[in-house]
This record gives sequence, structure tokens and C-alpha cells, in this order.
Amino acid sequence: MEKVLLRNIGVPASHTLSTYQSRGGYASWRKVVQTLKPEQLIEEVKASGLRGRGGAGFPTGMKWSFVPKDSPKPKYLVCNADESEPGTFKDRLLIEQDPHGLVEGTMIAAFAIQSHTAFIYIRGEMAFGATRLEQAVAEGYQAGLIGKNLFGTGYDLDVIVHRGAGAYICGEETALLSSLEGGRGWPKVKPPFPATHGLFGCPTVVNNVETLATLPWILERGAAAYSAMGTEKSKGTKLFSVSGHIARPGVYELEMGYPFKKFLDEDCGGVPNGKKLKGVIPGGGSMPVLKPEELDKVNLDYESVAAAGSLLGSGGVIVMDETVCMVRAALNLARFFAHESCGQCSPCREGVHWMEKILHRVEHGGAQSGDLDLILNIAGNIAGNTICPFGDAAAWPPGAFIRKYRDEFEAHIAAGKCTVRN
Amino acid sequence: MDPVKFIVDGKEVVTTKGTTVIQAAAEAGVAIPHYCYHPKLSIAGNCRMCMVEIEKMPKLQIACNTQVAEGMSVLTQSPKVVAVRKAVMEFLLINHPVDCPICDQAGECQLQNYYMEHNRQESRQEVGKIHDRKKTIFGPNVVFDGERCIKCTRCVRFCQEITKTNELAVINRGDHSTISLFDNAVLDNPLSANVVDICPVGALTDRDFRFKVRVWYLEKTPSICPGCSTGCNISVEAYQNKIARFKPRQNDSVNGPWICDEGRYSFHELAGGERLTMPLIRQEGGLVPTTWENALQAVLSGLRGSPALAGILSGRNTNEETYLFAKLARQLSSAAALEVFYQERELTETQRILMSPDRSPNFRGARDMGVGSNGGFAGLLEELASNKFSSAYIVGEDLLGADGEKIRSALQQLKFLVVQDTKLTETAKLAHVVLPAAHFGEKEGTYTNRQGRVQKLNAAVICPEGARQDSEIFLRLLDGAGHKLAYSAPSEIFSALTQEVAAYSGLNYDSIGEQGCELGSGGGAAS
Ligand SMILES: Cc1cc2nc3c(=O)[nH]c(=O)nc-3n(C[C@H](O)[C@H](O)[C@H](O)COP(=O)(O)O)c2cc1C
Ligand code: SF4
Ligand code: SF4
Ligand code: SF4
Ligand code: FES
Repeated sequence: MEKVLLRNIGVPASHTLSTYQSRGGYASWRKVVQTLKPEQLIEEVKASGLRGRGGAGFPTGMKWSFVPKDSPKPKYLVCNADESEPGTFKDRLLIEQDPHGLVEGTMIAAFAIQSHTAFIYIRGEMAFGATRLEQAVAEGYQAGLIGKNLFGTGYDLDVIVHRGAGAYICGEETALLSSLEGGRGWPKVKPPFPATHGLFGCPTVVNNVETLATLPWILERGAAAYSAMGTEKSKGTKLFSVSGHIARPGVYELEMGYPFKKFLDEDCGGVPNGKKLKGVIPGGGSMPVLKPEELDKVNLDYESVAAAGSLLGSGGVIVMDETVCMVRAALNLARFFAHESCGQCSPCREGVHWMEKILHRVEHGGAQSGDLDLILNIAGNIAGNTICPFGDAAAWPPGAFIRKYRDEFEAHIAAGKCTVRN
Repeated sequence: MDPVKFIVDGKEVVTTKGTTVIQAAAEAGVAIPHYCYHPKLSIAGNCRMCMVEIEKMPKLQIACNTQVAEGMSVLTQSPKVVAVRKAVMEFLLINHPVDCPICDQAGECQLQNYYMEHNRQESRQEVGKIHDRKKTIFGPNVVFDGERCIKCTRCVRFCQEITKTNELAVINRGDHSTISLFDNAVLDNPLSANVVDICPVGALTDRDFRFKVRVWYLEKTPSICPGCSTGCNISVEAYQNKIARFKPRQNDSVNGPWICDEGRYSFHELAGGERLTMPLIRQEGGLVPTTWENALQAVLSGLRGSPALAGILSGRNTNEETYLFAKLARQLSSAAALEVFYQERELTETQRILMSPDRSPNFRGARDMGVGSNGGFAGLLEELASNKFSSAYIVGEDLLGADGEKIRSALQQLKFLVVQDTKLTETAKLAHVVLPAAHFGEKEGTYTNRQGRVQKLNAAVICPEGARQDSEIFLRLLDGAGHKLAYSAPSEIFSALTQEVAAYSGLNYDSIGEQGCELGSGGGAAS
């Protein structure tokens, strides 16, 4: 398979403009500005079948087309570089090693919605990546690739790198916008949606780093080349961040629909030290865990993972071997979500920490026989009832862990302590 | 506006486009429980208490942020809705201290009310509550209890959107989120205590009212604020014949749901202090108690035929009282100059949201009743100070304010001075006769506010024995002066004045109602 996203990774000085341009960089950008109408660009991306890589898999071209063309307000394109989903570190690789690829993609998307200001909102902790992006943007301005009257066409575009203050919730697109506006990182109540009422109340598109970084390739090689890869509904390639008990952790680019088991066993070298696999989270910390026996028929595309009862999400693959205590794993995730809940809406604010506290006593003693059903009930009361999907993201993992490893949870309660580790 | 037909719990309702489900349901008489929604604030959608089931939508939706659509069918009592309300109530209570016995809000708390309506289950939370600050002073009038707060952000939005003073903010995350003063601010804006009213729970309480009375003992009387000529609608709430607090009473033509802090606490000054309960008469050596009979006789003989009588009313006198006083003054002296107390001050931008620059709630009404002189109140005061009058009758105002010395010497030189008031003020101490009167909270009648809206005052407490209503005093003096009137109740006086005062013609006392009626709008005219 030809690499789309990782094609520049590993090349010496891949982050510099000269290297990027020597490998054909910004040719797509020039072509877009000089030869394409926004509608043609949107059609091209629609035809490619590209879907958002931020987790939800929403068709990118369609998302752009929701932006009203006749709005008198400015329009904004915002790149979501807040990557904080547990087990996900693919955007960071692109940001640090191929910043120009992201900047070019961001500008292409901005052109599609005729935005004249694009923001790259980067997670505060990614200081190195932010510096790389700032350098790339500065180089772009200097080379006349960003700024006023681009390529003499009269089209203006500014690109602004904005560092977040470090909150998982600021990856949720409307919380990101609140933060970018200078407010508390609180998700907004929808409707209205960002396409019409986004940043500062203006039409806005938020796209993930990986989504945007795919665009230069699509424009270079054509929609058909992209959609030739992948499955019927999940086109192209996708990055996977693999971590945990795996021989070769790291970021992989796979053609959509690649067999999950083959990927883990062959590409990633399987579970090391002769240990057995106990569970895998396929799409980042907020997605339901899968048991080994559930993996056989799963392929890495949106539909296949969903059919198995989980979601492809961000492609953060977390591998757990038999030494892992599933209660502790669930507790660890619950602690993350309790800490990261923005606290705005009642079910998530109160319920997520409550689940954590109950899981804590299952792991550490003091649990009651009804605790597992109570957690499942609380999770059910949170999911679907919150302002933003964080509530679902926080509710799903404990539910999945308990349903799939119930014996282990029961054993903890009966023993009054952890039965897996010591 | 386009009409939209929608169905709530099987009932078909017509409303206008853009209306939210919570509003439209309320119009149809269906109350949807809510915490964060407030009709005068932006939509926060955070409490999740208002969730309803909407046909063809897989997930429940919040009624406060969902607009009605043609043919939309909403269920507010389906099993799913009932279950989610129960769940939300549980979430709101798991970290709540449930310290209702020592909470001022008990009895008017939406947590208590909705718990009974929508939850009624035992606690399933055994893993320790989050603690937060108790008794945190937010400002001169407001105290915060973090543990009782449900983070509905009404208070924060009030300070952002209504007063635009931004004293409050949410800080921290998750279940450690709490409300805090922003950047060392103090919650002391002129409308600050409204946050207490809109806080649905006992997290924000009124420092003035705190721990005074259990609210279920309060007797509530709809009335009008005596603070200024905005004429905010209030509920005067009393316990054991004493005013315990003012609460705003919503009137969207006047004050919306708000009142200002000055008005809210004005009853301390106006109704507090030691009351006069006997008429006083000047004898050698000073003022001594006397009977009403003697006092009124003295007033009549002191003022009758006065060559130059100054009649000064309080801005808190009702239309009915003012109407009678004007008659009385003219009966007593052919050269009577009448005025109503009126002083203006500079207001800040935030004060101007609600407050008028004066302190005379019925200034406009007094003018309508014919009380007024060429030079206005200030002119009359000047004339008084330069000894233009031989006698004066001053009702309900202490004129010896800031630069009272000139007035004091002028009043001392009068041949006859009558002061009618609730307390022995500095002005009253100079009088020949002092008549003990009732205050605004003890009387019934009407005020006409700055915009010309006639609104009704009602007696919330009973005036002390020995003191009399201003109208009763005027009627008795009129009688003594040979002008007996055949009526005495405020409603009767009002209908008499509508015969005489053109602008009030056609108005009907009973149809003024609790929301008042505008002059000239024909709104209250029951003709
Ligand atoms: C709690 C939460 C966290 C999220 N974090 C991220 C993130 O770090 N990066 C990201 O691109 N999208 C994140 N998303 C998804 C975004 O809301 C949004 O859907 C995405 O940025 C859209 O881009 P796409 O259409 O290119 O996928 C998150 C969503 C939720 C609910
Ligand atoms: S679901 Fe959680 S993270 Fe999202 S708005 Fe509500 S409290 Fe905040
Ligand atoms: S203090 Fe009251 S009004 Fe303010 S957020 Fe808390 S519960 Fe709501
Ligand atoms: S604005 Fe005037 S009428 Fe309204 S509460 Fe304040 S003092 Fe009273
Ligand atoms: S009233 Fe609708 S969410 Fe609070």
C-alpha cells in the first residue's frame, strides 16, 4: 500500500519547507487556489470518500457543504490538534514530523469554505509540536504561501497557531471553540451547530489533524486514487496508534478494512513475552473494549468495528495482556474521565466521578454485591443525556468492561480485594 | 409571526415559530421541570432536568433548547422521561449535603420540590460526598454555600447578561466545579440580590433575611416598591406583623422579574425604628401627647385661613391620599402651594437598568392629582427657606436632610407647622402638631409610576394602634373644615378621583389587578 499520511515521516528534516517542497509539497495548494472553485474542491473531496478522523467519521466534503455560502459573517476553519484521547498519538506525529503537510491541508479546507482565517488549536502540552507548527507557518508566510493575495489571485488567508491550556474536553469541537474564543472550555449546547454558529457565532468547520493532512495527497492524486483504497464505506487509509502490551508499539498507516488480528499479530508483532491477549480497545480510551474472541472477524474500518460492538474512534489501539486487572483498567479510565469532565451538565459532572468511586472500592475493597449493577445503571443514566458526547465516552468503557469481564469483577467483590495482581 | 401547531401530551396547541418546547408547553398549561432555564437569561442547557421525548427522535431532547416544529409531538410524562428526571435528580443530590433544616431556602427550594415530584428514592450513594465551601460571602447582600450549588449557572449568567458586571464565574472541573467571585471581585452591583431569587436552591441566600423566618410562616402581599418611581412590583412578605423581606413580583411591563437592592432593603428604613402612636401637640416646654380630637382641632384652627400655606406630601403618598390632601389644603387656605417631595441623583449605568433617579414612587401620580407648583419641589423648598409661607403641612418626609439648617430656621419661624409621619423625625420635632401616620406597607391604594402605569399597593401589615392612615386623617380634617365626603375606602376615593382627574377617567379600581394598567392605554379602563 502506498503511504498517504506517513509519506514524509522518516525523511531527514521532514519538518522544513525546503524538504517538504522538494517532495512536491504545496503543489496542491497552488493548484487549488489558482485553478479550482470552492464547489469543485468540495466535490472532489466528497468523491474521495474521506471521512473525519477525529473520531466520528463524518464525511468531510459534506461537512464543508453545510457552511452557508451567502453568510455576511466571516467564516473560520479550525484544525483540531488537541489530541488527548487516551492511547492516541497519531496527530502528534504528523504535527511534529510533517507540519507543512498539516498547514497545507488546513489551507485547502479553508479555501473550500472560503475562510480567510484558519486556526490550528493545539493541545497545550504539545509544546514541541506547537513550535514546529509556528515555524512552518512562519516559513509559509515568508514563501508567500500564506497571507494576502495568494499567487496573485486576490485570495487572502491567515493561519494562526493557538495553544490550548490542556484539557481533554477542549478536543470536543464546541469546547474547543469556547476555548478559542477566550472562554472556559465548555461544550456548547446544540443546536445551533458550528457550521452556522461556530467560532464567535460565525460559520465554522472543525476538522481533525489527520483529516486535513490527507487533503494534499487527494488533490495531488485525485479522488479516485484515494477512494480506490479501503472498503465500500470506509475509504482510503487511516493512522493507528498502538500501545500497551504489544511487541512493536507505534503509529501505523493502514488501508481501511485491514484485518485487525493480522495487524496485531503480524504488523505489530503480537503480545510479547509469551503472554496471552486479554482485551483490546480499538479506538481510543472512550471506546468499548473487545475480547480476543471478538477480534477474529473484525477489520479496521468504521463499519466492521461497529458491528463488533465497539467503534473505530480515533484509532487508538490499546492492547492488554493477561496480567492486566480489568477492574483496574476500568478504574484507570474512569479516573481519567472523572478528572476531565468539564462539569457543565449534571449527569456527567456527578455521575462519572461516582462511577470511579464505586470502581475504586471494587478494586480496593469495601464493595457491595449490587455495585456492578449500580455502575451499569449510572452509566445508562449518563449516556445520551448530556450536552456533549463526552458523557457517552465516559459511560461506555465501564459498562463494556463489566459486561465482558464480569466474573473478574465479581471475584474482586467476593475477595474484597484485587484478585489479579498480588 | 407564523403559527405552528404542535402536540404536547396528546393535546394540540398552536404557538408561534421560534418558541421553545418548554415555553410552548407552559402556554398549554404543561409545566416541564427545569433548573437552569430562566426566561430572561440565555439558554445553558446544563441541568438536563427538562428532557422530553419527541416523536421520531431517538434520544430525549432538552425542552429549553428545542424549538417547536409543525406537527411535532412531545411527551412530557412518558416512562423514559420520568426515568431520566429521576436520574437527574439523583445526580443533583449525590453530592448535596441535604442540610434542609438549617437552609433558608427550605420550603421554596426546587430540589426539595422536584425530589418529591420526580425522585422520592433513598440514596444509593455511599462512597463519600464532595465537600465545598460553606458560608462564603459573595458581597454585602449575598452569601454562597458551595455544597448546595447545582451549577445551573443562572447567577453567573445574570451577572454577565443582565448587569454585565461579571462578578461571578465557574471555576474548577468535574464535580469540583463551583461558583466563585471572578478575579477578586465583590458581588455588590446594584441588582446583586436578584441572584438569590433566581438561585433555584439554597446555594445563594440573602444575608439580610438569613435565619430570620422559616419561609412557610411568611404572609405574602402583592404590592409596589416604595423605593423610586420605577414602581417595581413586589411581594411584601411579613411575619408576625413585621416586614421580613421584599421579593420581586414579575411584571414584564415594569421590572421583569427583578428589583434593585436599594428597593429590596428599603423597608428597614421606612418601616423600622420607633413608631409614633399618639398625636403630639406643642406646649410650653415641648411636644406632649394629646388626643386625636384635640390634635385635629388644633390643626384646623392653626391652618384655617392661612395666608400662605405650604402643603408638602411624600412621594410615597398614594393617589387617593394625594387627591384628598389637595382638596384639604384648598379647603383650608385659598393660598395653598402644594408640592410632592422630589429629589434626583446621578445613577450609574447599572443602576439605570432599573432604577429611577428619584425616591418618590408616586411622583407622577401626585402631579396627576394636581399637586405641583411652578418652581417644582426645589422651588417650593427655596420659597420655604426664604420665609414665603406662614404655615406648612408636611406629610411623611423629613426635610432636614443634608443642608437642613436653612430649612430648620425657616420651619421654626412658621406661625403653624403640622407634621404627619410615622416617626418623630427632626422635622416633626419642630411641629406645633404631630400626627402619627401609617407607612407604605400598612396602606392600600394606588401609585402611578414614571411611565404612567397605575399600580396597586396593598396593606401587608397592620399599623400600630394610635397611628392612622393618611387618608383617614385627611378625611377627618376635611369633615372638620366643613367639607364632609361620603366615602372613605381607597376604592371609593379612587372612583371619586376618576370622575375628576381626566387622565384617570374610566379606570376601575378592581380592574387594576396585580399587574397595573397604563394611563391612556385604555388598558384598565373598564368603561
Ligand atoms: C470528548 C471529546 C474529545 C474529542 N477530542 C478530539 C481531539 O482531541 N481531536 C479531534 O480531532 N477530535 C476530537 N473530538 C471530535 C471533535 O469533536 C470533532 O468531531 C472533530 O474534531 C471533527 O473533525 P473531523 O470531522 O475531521 O473528524 C473529540 C470529541 C469529544 C466528544
Ligand atoms: S457531557 Fe461532560 S464534558 Fe460534556 S458538557 Fe457535559 S459535563 Fe461537560
Ligand atoms: S449558586 Fe445557585 S444560581 Fe448559582 S449556579 Fe449554584 S445553584 Fe445555580
Ligand atoms: S428600581 Fe425603584 S422601584 Fe424598583 S426596586 Fe429599585 S427602588 Fe424599588
Ligand atoms: S432547563 Fe433545560 S437543561 Fe436545564
